[in-house]
Amino acid sequence: MNFVHNRRLLFAATILLLLVCAGQGTSKQTPKKQGRLNSQEQKVINYLVADWGEDYSVTSVDIAMAALKMKQSDETRFRIASHIKAHPELHEIIRRWGWVTLVLTPDEKLIARTLINAERDGKPQPTVAEIAKAVGVTEAQADRGLSMLERYEILQRAASKGAGYKVVPRYIKWEPRLDFIFHKVSLDSGRQFNTN
Amino acid sequence: MLLVSSKLANEKVTVDDSSPESTARIQVVFDKGKLVRAEPTTAVFFLGGG
Repeated sequence: MNFVHNRRLLFAATILLLLVCAGQGTSKQTPKKQGRLNSQEQKVINYLVADWGEDYSVTSVDIAMAALKMKQSDETRFRIASHIKAHPELHEIIRRWGWVTLVLTPDEKLIARTLINAERDGKPQPTVAEIAKAVGVTEAQADRGLSMLERYEILQRAASKGAGYKVVPRYIKWEPRLDFIFHKVSLDSGRQFNTN
Repeated sequence: MLLVSSKLANEKVTVDDSSPESTARIQVVFDKGKLVRAEPTTAVFFLGGG
């Protein structure tokens, strides 16, 4: 009797252990959950989904935020961008041209290109001051852009001379995606959009 | 710039762009389909296609 009871206990303990292990495995594989977008952020997504494809539009998040008269904020843009990156099913434009071109500002694209061009051409990595000069922004703006590019996992910290970043290999050769290209169109009516 | 000569042919259109090979910024302005300004003036503008 005791033998049967002990075997049942052992069986139950084994099942419990397996369930715990399975649970841990699942939680490791599940991508980090991003909080839900708030109503303002969702409005930006709705604006973009309606705009993309119209007049060859590949409009970016910053332009949509401006059109909706939202205060520009790197944090808000990052949350919206992460949503776009995680949801290519939202629109064909994301799948066709890639999320990068839709979420980076023109300054961030140019900052990325200074590093990509240097790495591609085998030149030393530019310093923050050199990046700022090449892009026509302040050093503080260049620093902020580099941080955003790191958050987007386009750049990685690197113990090297220069600005201290290296380009993630996928982005060294970015064509045929649009990644770091922008053609921003402004009309007298106030409408702005990016074209491909 | 198909749009400038078709759907936006009656508008004033400003295009902010950049050199694909460097990081130089380029701005071109069209009015009613015609190029009226390009900055920097050294920017090379190809009209037409084919």
